[in-house]
Amino acid sequence: MTRNNPQFSILNPQSNILSTMTVAFAHISRSFGTNRAVDDVTLDVRGGEILALVGENGAGKTTLMSIAAGELARDSGEVRAEGRVELVHQHFMLVNEFTIAENLALTRRFRFATRRALEREALATVAAAGIELGDVSRRVGDLSVGEKSKLELIKAIGRQPATLILDEPTSVLTPREADELFAVMRRVAAAGTAVVFISHKLPEVLAVADRIVVMRAGKIVAETRASETTASALADVMVERRAPRPASRIGHGHEAGGGTTIEGVTFEGGQILAIVGVAGNGQSQLAARLRARLPSAGHIPEDRTRDGIIAEMSIAENLALRGVRNAREIITRYSIRAQDEQQKAGDLSGGNQQKVILARELDRRPHVIVAAEPTRGLDIEAARFVHEQLRDAAGNGAAVLLITSDLDEAFSLSDAIQVIYRGQLSARMTRDEAAGRVANLMAGVA
Amino acid sequence: MRRLAVTLGRAFAAAAVAVLLLALSGAAFGHSPAELLGILVSGSVGSRFALEGTLLKSVPLLLTGLSVAVAFRAGVWNIGAEGQFIVGALAGLLASRWGVAAALIASMLAGAAWASLATAMRLLRNAPEVLTTILLNFTAIHLLGWSVNGPLRESIAQYPQSDPAGVALPVLAGQVHAGLPIAVLAAIALWVLIHRTREGLRLRATGFSPNAAEWAGINVRAQLARAMAISGAVAGLAGGIELLGVTHRLFERFASGYGYSGIAVALLAQLHPLATVLSALFFGALVTGAGELQRTANISAAVATLGQALVILTLIGFEHVRRNRQSNR
Repeated sequence: MTRNNPQFSILNPQSNILSTMTVAFAHISRSFGTNRAVDDVTLDVRGGEILALVGENGAGKTTLMSIAAGELARDSGEVRAEGRVELVHQHFMLVNEFTIAENLALTRRFRFATRRALEREALATVAAAGIELGDVSRRVGDLSVGEKSKLELIKAIGRQPATLILDEPTSVLTPREADELFAVMRRVAAAGTAVVFISHKLPEVLAVADRIVVMRAGKIVAETRASETTASALADVMVERRAPRPASRIGHGHEAGGGTTIEGVTFEGGQILAIVGVAGNGQSQLAARLRARLPSAGHIPEDRTRDGIIAEMSIAENLALRGVRNAREIITRYSIRAQDEQQKAGDLSGGNQQKVILARELDRRPHVIVAAEPTRGLDIEAARFVHEQLRDAAGNGAAVLLITSDLDEAFSLSDAIQVIYRGQLSARMTRDEAAGRVANLMAGVA
Repeated sequence: MRRLAVTLGRAFAAAAVAVLLLALSGAAFGHSPAELLGILVSGSVGSRFALEGTLLKSVPLLLTGLSVAVAFRAGVWNIGAEGQFIVGALAGLLASRWGVAAALIASMLAGAAWASLATAMRLLRNAPEVLTTILLNFTAIHLLGWSVNGPLRESIAQYPQSDPAGVALPVLAGQVHAGLPIAVLAAIALWVLIHRTREGLRLRATGFSPNAAEWAGINVRAQLARAMAISGAVAGLAGGIELLGVTHRLFERFASGYGYSGIAVALLAQLHPLATVLSALFFGALVTGAGELQRTANISAAVATLGQALVILTLIGFEHVRRNRQSNR
C-alpha cells in the first residue's frame, strides 16, 4: 500500500526549511538513439511546494518525470523517491467503455465488489479529492475532455501520492476549468504533497507555481522562485535563440473578398481564418468533413503520425503521394534534416515530418489549405517555419483555414477568428472583436 | 537496393535455419540429419527429373504467393487464394473449349470476381475479409465437389472427376509447361505495378496507413477493392494454369493447399514480387524433396508442411530479435 509519510500533514507548505524532499534526482541522463533527452540533471522535489517544470517541446521535461515515476529507465545517475509518485499523463489513460466508478476501481487490488459498492467508494474518492464530478455511474466515453482530465486527477490523488506530477494538464481545459485545477493543485500542495506542474504556458506557470525550473535540450538551465521572475525572462532562457519577429505578409489581401462557404466556413482567397476552441469540441470532425468536401485542397492533419506521414515509406514516396516529384530539391528548400530523400519518413523528428507534410500539401499551390494544429508538438524554430509557409500561401492568394487550440498562434497569424464549441461555430470576428470574447465563447458562456 | 539485399539475406537465413531444423528433427526418428539433408537436396534439385518436379510445383506457389503479396501489401488480409484458385480452375475448364487464352482469361476473371465477393461484404457490411475469404474457400471447395460429382462429372462416370480439358498449355521441356514463363512474367508485372507506378505507391500507402492515405487524397476503398481483385485474378490464374498444365482434370482435392501455402511463400518473400520467385522455388523444392523423403526414407511428405511452418516461425523470430535490438539502441 502507500508509504505516505505521515509527517507531511503537519508541514507548513510555505516553508522550505521544514519541507521534506520527496524525489531527488542526481546526475540523471537518458538518451533515445543519439538524442540525449535528459542530460545530467540534478534536482530535488519537496513536499508542500508547487514546482513548475517549463521548457519547449522536447526539452526533456516529460522524460525526466517519467523516470521519477518509474515508467522509464535511466541510463545513468540516481533517483530516490520518498513515498508514492503519481504521474498524470497528457493523454488519457482511461477505459472508455467503463464507468467513472469502474475506472477508479481499476487502481485498487482485486477483490469482489458489487456495482453499488464500487460507486459508493468512487463517490468517497471523488469527495476526498475535493473535485466536482457528478454522477459516477456515467460511462467515461461519454464524458467531456475536461471531465476526463478531472477523473485522471481524482484517480491520481486517490492513491495518496507523496509526489503528484501533472504533464501539461491545461492543454485541453477551458480557462475556467484550468482555474479549478489550479485551486486543486494548491490544496493538494497545502496538504504536504509535492506537486510538479509540467507546462510551456508561462502565464499560468507564474500564477500557480512556487518554484520554477527551466529545462532546455535535456539540461536544467535556470531555477527561480516564481515571485522573482517574469514571462519574458523565462521565455528568454527557455529558447536559446529568440525567434525573429515574423516577416510581414507579402501581397496581403490579394484576391480577397467574396469567398465560398463550405461546412459553415467561409473561405476567402488571401486570408487566414482561425478556428479556435478547446480540444475535443468538434475540430477533428470539422477537419474530416472538409477533407471529404475538398479533396484537392492542401490538408495538414491534426494527428501527424496517424494521418500525416507514412512512416514506413521514404521521404520521396511520401511526397509523391500528392505528385510532388522533386524530393531532393524540397529537402533543401524546406531545410528538412535528413540523410537523403530515400530515408524513411518515420525516422525523422516531428518537426521534419511536419515539413514533409507541408511540402507535400503546399508545394502544388492549392487554392484552399486546411491546417489543423499544424505546430502541435513542434519546437519554436519549426513552428516559425510552419507559420511562414501558411503566411506565404495566403500571400499568394490561397484561402487558409487554421484550426488550432493555441490562441497565440490564432491571434498572431489570422485575419479573422471563429470559435468552435461543441461542434458549433461562432460568428466570424476580427482579431480585435475576438480578443475580448474568445475566452467566454470557448467555455460556452456566450 | 540495400533494403532489398537485407530482405533477401534475412529470407535466405530463415530458409537455411528451417531446413536445418527439419533435418535435425529427423534424428528423433533414427535418421542421421546429414542423410536426410542429402535426400532433400538430391530429391529436389539433384537430377533433371527432380529439378523439373521442383519447377512444376513452384509455378502455382509463385502465383498464389503473388496473389497473397499484392493483397497484404495493400493491407487486405486475403486468406482466400485457395478458393480463388479453385473457381479459377472451374472457369478455366468451362472456357477451355474456346482455347488456352480464353481459358486463362476466364480463370483470372473468375478469381477476381470470387475475391470481390469478400470486398463487397467488406464495403457494404464491414465484414472482415480474413473471415469472409476463409468462408468463401469452403464454399469454393464444396462448389468444386458438387461440380465433379454432378454436372462436370466425367462422361464415363467412373470417378468423381471431370473429363480432361480440351486444350493444354504447351510443354517447353520435359514436364515443364508454359505456365512457368507466365508466372515469372506475372511477378515482373506486379513488381512494376507495385514499386514503379503511382498506383502502386497508392496501394502501398493504403497498406501501410489507410488513415494517412486517406488524408493524402487516396480513395482507400477503391484501392482495397482493386488490390483484392488483382489478388483474386492472380490466384485464379494459378488454378487455370495448374489445370491446363498439370492435372488436365478437376477433382475434389484439386487445390491441395496451394492457396494457403501461398501465404508462406509471400511472407518468406516479405511481400516483394521478385523475391517471391525465389521463395516459390524454395518451397517448390521443399515439397518435391519431401516427396523423395517419403519414397526413400519412409518419412511422411507432411514434413514439407512442417518446413513451411518452420520457415515462417524462424522469420518471425528474426523479426523479433531485430525489433528488440532496435528498441534497445
